[in-house]
Amino acid sequence: MKNLSKDPINLVVAGVGGQGNVMVSLVIGNALVHEGYFVTIGETYGSSQRGGSVMSHLKISAEKQFSPLIPEGQADVVLGMEPVETLRVLKSFGNQNVVTVVNPRPIHPVDFTGSGSGYPDIQSLLGQIKSMSARAYVVNATDEALKMGNAMLANMILIGALLKNSLIPLSEDALVPVIKDMFPKAVAANTKALKAGADLVSILN
Amino acid sequence: MPNIDMDAPGSNQLFIGNEAMARGALEAGIGFASAYPGTPSSEILGSLSEVAKKRDIYVEWSVNEKVAIEAGAAASFAGVRALVAMKMNGLNTVIDFLSTITLSGIGKKGIVVMVGDDPSAHSSSNETDSRPVSKWLDIPLVEPGDFQEAKDMMPFLYGISEEFGTISIMRSVTRIAHARGNIKLGEIPKIAHKARFEQYLDPAAPMPTPIMCVPSSFRHMFQHMRMDKVREKFESCSFNRYVGPDKPDLLIITAGSGWLYSQDAVNALKAENRIGILKLGTLWPLPEKLIKTHLSKADKVIFIEETDPFLEGVIMEYTAGFSPESKRNLFYGKHTRHLNSFGELTPDAVIKAITSVLDIKYAPRDAEYMKKVEAVPQGHVMDRLLTFCPGCPHRASFWAIKNALAMDGRNGFVTGDIGCYTMALGPAGFFQTRTHQCMGAGAGLANGFGQLSRFGFNQPVVSVVGDSTFYHSIIPALVNGVHNHSNFTLVILDNGATAMTGFQPHPGTELTAMGEPAAQISMENICRAIGARVEICDPFDLKDTTRTILDLVEQDQGARVAIMRRTCELVRQKKEKKPYKMQIDPDKCLGEDCGCNRLCTRVFRCPGLIWDAAAGKTRIDEVICTACGVCADICPEGAITKEAIA
Amino acid sequence: MVTKTKGIGDLFKEIIDKGLCTVCGACVGDCPYVVFYRGKIRMLDFCNRTEGHCYEYCPRTFTDLDAISNKIHGTSYTGDEIGTVKEVLMARAGDSKTRAKAQYGGTVSALLSLALDNGVIDAAILSKNTDDKLPSGFVARSSAQVLEGAGSNYMAYPALEALNGMPRDSKDRLGIVVTPCQAIALAKMKVSPPSQRVSMENVRLSIGLFCTWALAYDRFFEFIKNNVSPAKIKKFDIPPPPANRFDFYIGKEVESFPLDGIRNYRMSTCAYCLDMTAEFTDISLGSVEGIEGWNTVIVRTQQGMDIVEEAKKKGVLEIKELPAQNLVHLKDAALIKKARAVQAIVERTGDKNDLMYLGISDNLKGKLLSHRVTAQGGH
Repeated sequence: MKNLSKDPINLVVAGVGGQGNVMVSLVIGNALVHEGYFVTIGETYGSSQRGGSVMSHLKISAEKQFSPLIPEGQADVVLGMEPVETLRVLKSFGNQNVVTVVNPRPIHPVDFTGSGSGYPDIQSLLGQIKSMSARAYVVNATDEALKMGNAMLANMILIGALLKNSLIPLSEDALVPVIKDMFPKAVAANTKALKAGADLVSILN
Repeated sequence: MPNIDMDAPGSNQLFIGNEAMARGALEAGIGFASAYPGTPSSEILGSLSEVAKKRDIYVEWSVNEKVAIEAGAAASFAGVRALVAMKMNGLNTVIDFLSTITLSGIGKKGIVVMVGDDPSAHSSSNETDSRPVSKWLDIPLVEPGDFQEAKDMMPFLYGISEEFGTISIMRSVTRIAHARGNIKLGEIPKIAHKARFEQYLDPAAPMPTPIMCVPSSFRHMFQHMRMDKVREKFESCSFNRYVGPDKPDLLIITAGSGWLYSQDAVNALKAENRIGILKLGTLWPLPEKLIKTHLSKADKVIFIEETDPFLEGVIMEYTAGFSPESKRNLFYGKHTRHLNSFGELTPDAVIKAITSVLDIKYAPRDAEYMKKVEAVPQGHVMDRLLTFCPGCPHRASFWAIKNALAMDGRNGFVTGDIGCYTMALGPAGFFQTRTHQCMGAGAGLANGFGQLSRFGFNQPVVSVVGDSTFYHSIIPALVNGVHNHSNFTLVILDNGATAMTGFQPHPGTELTAMGEPAAQISMENICRAIGARVEICDPFDLKDTTRTILDLVEQDQGARVAIMRRTCELVRQKKEKKPYKMQIDPDKCLGEDCGCNRLCTRVFRCPGLIWDAAAGKTRIDEVICTACGVCADICPEGAITKEAIA
Repeated sequence: MVTKTKGIGDLFKEIIDKGLCTVCGACVGDCPYVVFYRGKIRMLDFCNRTEGHCYEYCPRTFTDLDAISNKIHGTSYTGDEIGTVKEVLMARAGDSKTRAKAQYGGTVSALLSLALDNGVIDAAILSKNTDDKLPSGFVARSSAQVLEGAGSNYMAYPALEALNGMPRDSKDRLGIVVTPCQAIALAKMKVSPPSQRVSMENVRLSIGLFCTWALAYDRFFEFIKNNVSPAKIKKFDIPPPPANRFDFYIGKEVESFPLDGIRNYRMSTCAYCLDMTAEFTDISLGSVEGIEGWNTVIVRTQQGMDIVEEAKKKGVLEIKELPAQNLVHLKDAALIKKARAVQAIVERTGDKNDLMYLGISDNLKGKLLSHRVTAQGGH
């Protein structure tokens, strides 16, 4: 029987429709189930691929099946694929003990107010994210993924950053079979991205 | 997507609820499955279709739910277990058939209707609760409380269906159907299905014995008798269970997602010693004795269920018949406004309801943190409005429709329908759509508007429908329109897929659900055969599309059709690379100085275009842009360029 | 009276939706938010700018007549019947072929051809009928192309759309043929030139057409469709008074309709127009009452004088003195239009101090208001 220091561990993956939020939660979830954990994943959907805010809630337990939604203020870990979405999730689910990993690359919303006011200042966003987290890490996942030739690899880079800091009970080795299963044509690229995430992640200052 | 037919009994897998149900259906030995896609039910048939050939079952995306259920019933009539899946809106369209099959009974093998409800209507035009149908039409109904049950209830339900000769319903909600959880797999039996429609119930019968719903009143009585027997069976069913102390301060009666939320809430409140939970899996007919037993243990009872107060209503109705000396409970729930009978159930809603009934204090985070939460400026978490995907043909189609209707100048409008293009109610489609009801309603409404000229109505009416919707429910409306000389333009956005629900095939596409070549039904041939003028255009050719729509609109008589044909961008990008290299010439983009007033980012609003406020110019987000090239034709300065990639 | 420049919403609210639009074209051709379609200005999307050239240049939004007069003529607006004049004369094209194609004397075609040949201008913007008889602006670069544009069909059309549509970095020197309302809009553009359009400095020659009113395309086209076959019409004509007819030339036949009936299809905005003789142009011209095949020509500026002198020298134009009686009649008709317009404006606003778009001195206001319309004149 597995044992967790806190049970369940509540992980929120925050991003924008089209970023690959569901893929991230699937990779993590599958690996955890293979490791013998109970995992429940709830996703806000409908907006997937359509530019809306998207969240996945993962509850990781050694004991039982929990509900697919995390109550307000009860996230343990936030994986932020986009800065505004990270802050949005902290507002609803953050607490004094939450640990955050954030990809600082913004995705601009469509301008439906016509104001053209643009995107909030990134440094100010990161400052708030840091202040609302017990610990916060940053990894330039999209920039690195673009260097590697595919923006979608940002997701695996972020998972690498999550693993590096032992924020979920998973090792890199546990992910290998999942990567082989889910991305049979891109095993090398995804494995490389996973390692890159671990290498690049740093404390958010 | 996991392989739902993996041969690994006893292993643990991460499945979404719909995949669990599909697996359950395989473990139950179904031979036939039919459905029309609809969130949150689509993955049931979707995942079955992928294993259909291997498992030697027949799987079909039907033209609509009514045909799906009738096709499934035929399999049952001929002795093959059938699964029919749909969302709650689909259930509404099959009520007529359901109301007769409950009387006629089924064939030798069972038939289960899997209906996915969408509380909060994340992806729906209503948020109806399907459960009352079971009471109304006398149909056994179960609801899984977790992912394992979503699978395990399937074989059980086929047993009920066959033992009692009745169609049965499994209801799930979004947070079961679309959430993921652990599934311990069972065995999939190897069955050689053999189909035959018996003309005689008993070889010795003197006359053929049709499957029929007459004499209806007699059969109605018979169905009630059957339901009483089902009730007996449900009384001892293991999907109904109780956890908690013998004498709880509060008894929760719950089902479905409410079961998981109730456990979460009790856990969060650390109230395991005070609260008991009676979790029901078989909801109708009501296991009355079981309920009575548990009601006797507690004074206070709260109902936790999604969406309507169904259990709350039927159980309170049931207890109203108790003798005066029986125990009287204090009931809480939706009727006491502790919970809402609309919107999605959440753990927080359950926590709030319980803390209110039991007067418990609960604060998930400290005051200092709440100050930080409140200090986050509103502008830092701006709303993200849903919009069409980058490269979506619908954006171009609605751009053309908008311009055509504006040029026509008679206050023309769009009657909407169900699909991604529903978003044209908002800025995604430039607010062109002015009515939004159910599948097919846009064309029906257009029929009516198109007859109102005799009362002074002179606005052009454009009914915009998707390709899948066209086959599902538009054809009769077009027949009606042509026949009665109704004045409207039907626009079919033909993107070659049922895009909103996950690219399922439809009668116009090349392949069947099982991946075999389909007889493609040409929508233009149908429309022409009906007698409508038909024009076909490519929405990415904005000029031609605008001209075509304008020409059709100005025809101002009869029902006429424009087919805007362009593959869904999400489908295209799976097969092809970006077609263009898109660039914005910063010297040509005049930004705020341009008379265009940020036309591309303020009005056209493709997510791939970013207004760079600091630079005062538009730029392309290369991560988002799919290089459809349409914005190059929008920019009045020619600052956006597309260069074909060889 | 409102002097503030506003945005497109106000242009629609105050002008277009109120039936005051002249479809001069000043607001279209260079803006993705507005288009001209089948006789109407249509808004494709809402532009939330609070100030726009669309509103500023509209000949029915506030117009400082002194400012535009100063810009074109170097003097304040006098309110004289036919505006600022250097010379009034009678002319016709020297070339009979040009005359044959032309509405009256062929003077416009002759002058534009000369200007093109001489290199005074590189291109001329004039109107041409489309297949469905709707005139639209087009750019002519040769005498042959100029002749394609000859002839009128009396329908309001957006000449300035073609000007606005010129590439902004175009170095072409331009001539343009305009009606009085278009001339006012063009003059407003010259007073306060647009920054992101073709330079107003390029507009070297403006030729105005006398106008009492124009027909509204949408309604008049319905009439044509119901009474004459649009495709067969070769020419439209309103012969000078007292004919009181509207003639459609169909092949060699002429089908005539009483002008009074045709007046029903007038643009409602024409009732508020002060200008019959296109006062804010270099040269303006029309027919000559009682003398077929000639044009009345008013030369207004030095550029106008230069080209007319050149035309005379080269024999491109035959020129005669305009009979004194004709000038009197012309002035009478022009004054009647002014006085009627002011009366109509006051009737509409209900306030003698509110002359809608007209920015004129109080003195002049008094003068115009005191003039009573007695005679029926003009068409």
